Amino acid sequence: MTHRFGLALVVISMIAVGLAYLLAFAAPGLTGSLGAWCMIFGIAGAVVGLMMLGASRDDRSLRPLLLPLAFTFAVLMLGFGMGLVLPAAGAAERLLFGLPLRAAIIVYGIGLLPILVLPFAYARTFDALTLSDEDLARVRAAAAQLKGTA
Amino acid sequence: MTLFPLLEASALPPLTQPVIVGVALVYFAIVAAIGVWATRRTKNASDFFVAGEGIGLWTLAIASMASTISGFAFIGGPGLVYSIGIGALFLVLPAAITNTMGCWVLAKRLRLLGEIRGLITIPDAIGVRYRSRFGQGISAVSIVVATIGYTATNVLALGLVITAVFGVGRVPGIWIGSAIILSYSASGGILAGVYTDLFEGAVKAVASVLVFAYVLMVGGGMGGISQSIMAVDPSYLGPWGKIGPMAALSFFFVFGIGSLGQPHVVHKFYMLRDPRRLKWLPLIVSCSLIVSLLLYFGVGIAMRALVAGGRIPALASPDDATPTFLLHFTPIALAALVFSGVAAAIMSTVNSFLSIGAAALTHDIPVAFGRRVKDELLVGRLTTVVIAVLAALVAQGSGALVAFLGIFGWGLFASTLVPSLAIGLNWKGATRAGAVGSIVTGLVCTLLFETLAYMKAYKLPAGVTASGLSLVMSFLVFFALSWLTRATAESTLDPDIRAVMEA
Repeated sequence: MTHRFGLALVVISMIAVGLAYLLAFAAPGLTGSLGAWCMIFGIAGAVVGLMMLGASRDDRSLRPLLLPLAFTFAVLMLGFGMGLVLPAAGAAERLLFGLPLRAAIIVYGIGLLPILVLPFAYARTFDALTLSDEDLARVRAAAAQLKGTA
Repeated sequence: MTLFPLLEASALPPLTQPVIVGVALVYFAIVAAIGVWATRRTKNASDFFVAGEGIGLWTLAIASMASTISGFAFIGGPGLVYSIGIGALFLVLPAAITNTMGCWVLAKRLRLLGEIRGLITIPDAIGVRYRSRFGQGISAVSIVVATIGYTATNVLALGLVITAVFGVGRVPGIWIGSAIILSYSASGGILAGVYTDLFEGAVKAVASVLVFAYVLMVGGGMGGISQSIMAVDPSYLGPWGKIGPMAALSFFFVFGIGSLGQPHVVHKFYMLRDPRRLKWLPLIVSCSLIVSLLLYFGVGIAMRALVAGGRIPALASPDDATPTFLLHFTPIALAALVFSGVAAAIMSTVNSFLSIGAAALTHDIPVAFGRRVKDELLVGRLTTVVIAVLAALVAQGSGALVAFLGIFGWGLFASTLVPSLAIGLNWKGATRAGAVGSIVTGLVCTLLFETLAYMKAYKLPAGVTASGLSLVMSFLVFFALSWLTRATAESTLDPDIRAVMEA
């Protein structure tokens, strides 16, 4: 189920990116708003869809990863989205950790926050979802058996 | 819009000072020693191309980081930040995500495929996944073309660094640089490359942290830097910098999703000794990458603040940002370390490309024609020399042509390899027709759009990158053709490949 959802998300995301580029060709005036939103959704969806596709297994639930994946999608959508919708305050813009607010959201939010979540989610679920000793033994045995019968 | 201006090489200011020359010589001596050691351990083609699947976690992680960051991150990157502000960060922002994504999508499956099928190249993986010699061959052709172009760009950059440090001139600099890289690449192969990458990665990370500390000291902290810039040009520190949202987001798309098709990086998954050690790979690579990119961000923004505050005159060329900052605001020993780091970054990238290019010529293209080279180790070594010489000859040509080839090569990796590899290894419904169609689409579109842009025959709309357009078209063709030929999907899957995909 999650595998199909991940695949569908990647397909829809690529269509969204394609649409963003199509708008840039056909209606350049719209790229500042609609095109950019298509691009934002395309990026967030493609990243999360690819992760779901890679992490999902037929026999195991992806439930332990739903929160980190939802977090990643939200960070990308909100981070880029706020860059689009928050008004520019010029030289008076408030600083957050030394950067103007909108730049800080991009740099710290998108450039750093996922590191605090994704690698740990990968490591925490590695044995259960990615590759246990049993999984490894099973693949090696299957490959050896196939070699033996070939 | 193309990425062409980003890599156009320009001369560096002269750096011929005893400390810088001394550190550079020590650095080259260490690299040569690693090359000699690795040569003694290289006994067969597997050692030469995939380090005999015997690399440990930390070495692999730092080597992956080192080959991800080319010299661009030390010279061109800070120059780009100096020019367009926050917009330039969209090339590196995906680093927080791409390593974990790469491990989920590719690492386990490539490592297991490498083990059970004895794979040594990325086209190998495409060949066995789709049972397609044509797919393997055409992806290998893309890699060879891209490798020569990209290597030429990096060899030219190395030539410029050597010229700046030793004052030898551009052409001798190119050949000296090529000879140094060949001295360990042709004999020790990727094994030498991985261990020099480890050394170079450590140099890069340490240098980057130290330089960033000086950035904060000189600029009065991040707040001081921001205030100096905002007083003169607030849009520089806007969320998209001096480029629009579409252009910035296109960078993120191409550098984020495109990272899954960079063969010099994903190829390293084959080398890990124990696949269970993948568990901590994303954390180590992501953290070391972010640390090494502090210089990219810090120097560019600090130089803009110093110019805005009237402390230094405007730079003649954006590429002067790093040399100017280092020579004016850091101790000479640190400057020497960074310039060695620049050479290190370029050399580690070139070594990786020589290895994958040689593997494509020695292994994949003969396999595509149903043949195997008898002595892949010997032919691999000879091919490495041939590619390096070709790249050096190309690098002697015009800077604009070299930059074009580098861009062409870079875009090709993303648009030809990502769908067939990243989706194909995770979706049993992917078909041979889809894979071949997407590789051909990526090849044709990248060539077409980049050539038109290079010849100034056509200008893409604002915010559209040739690489991004080619990548998305390649994806869409992959899905469309796989769906249209879905009845053939099962027939292209061997049982052991299915076992790996289900693992």
